[in-house]
Amino acid sequence: MTNSSIYQHELEQDRFGLRVTSRLSDSLDDLPYEISERLRAARVQAIGKRKLVTAQTATNLIHLGGNSTLSFGTHQPNWWKKLATATPLLVLVLGLIAINLIQDDLHIREIADLDAELLTDDLPPTAYTDPGFAHFLKISSSQYK
Amino acid sequence: MATEQELSDFLKSVEKRAFKRSLYHVRNTESAFDIVQDSMMKLAEHYGHKPSAELPMLFQRILTNCTLDWFRRQKTKNALFSNMSDFESSDSEGDFDLLEVLSTQSSLESSEGPESSAQQAQILLQIEAAIQELPTRQREAFLMRYWEELDVSETASAMGCSEGSVKTHSSRAVHALSKILKGKGITL
Repeated sequence: MTNSSIYQHELEQDRFGLRVTSRLSDSLDDLPYEISERLRAARVQAIGKRKLVTAQTATNLIHLGGNSTLSFGTHQPNWWKKLATATPLLVLVLGLIAINLIQDDLHIREIADLDAELLTDDLPPTAYTDPGFAHFLKISSSQYK
Repeated sequence: MATEQELSDFLKSVEKRAFKRSLYHVRNTESAFDIVQDSMMKLAEHYGHKPSAELPMLFQRILTNCTLDWFRRQKTKNALFSNMSDFESSDSEGDFDLLEVLSTQSSLESSEGPESSAQQAQILLQIEAAIQELPTRQREAFLMRYWEELDVSETASAMGCSEGSVKTHSSRAVHALSKILKGKGITL
């Protein structure tokens, strides 16, 4: 088959196809009234659905605006909503972790100060375990009273 | 972005054809209506913000997917649907001549005038029956190419197959239709 004959064959196929479908198109106006009405109702419902989506996007924008968060378009409203919900929780958890770290640090510093005072005192730490020195302290404190 | 009016006009322009197309596929008025309604809803809901020039292709794709979903559901329900007829041998296509069928077009055109509406309705019914006899993929390719007037690449995109497959399906559909109609004495 030459190129021109292939082209001619395709052209004939196309002509035949178009003739068949033009018959089908002619019949479209003869659809039953009930079907046409149901299709019209379905179309109106579909258009309404589009409106609903647009309105929902606007509502998201207003709600999320309060949380300093913006919603862009119709595709990611759920992500922004989830992010807006998760942010305060995340801040709370981070705050608790920070407070815990600061408390631990303060406790360690207090113990370190105490240890430093003990070690730098004229009196050696072992003196406090000596029963004689304990007795001396007891006598001394009773004398000052 | 398509305006509400543009979307409405577009749906109005395609709804009847979409219904008939679905009807040829599923052969059930209620199911065909459900498929078209579902397709319209999906288009409006998910692609209502797209430019109006993109709507035809998107709608064709959605309609095709909704029809396939219907068949899948039916398959699950009945385990009856099979697409194997697409792989059948086309050796029987050789016993007719497309040129012979097309050669009668001029006589058909001249006879269209006196053709009664009853005859036209009868011919239409036979054409519709012939289309329904086609294997699913052939019917889909044929209707998209010649009724929706999509080109080969657009049809391939909507059907999710290669351009070569579209050409094969369309060609087989044309040959099969010619043969069926000729067998019924319809010279289209």
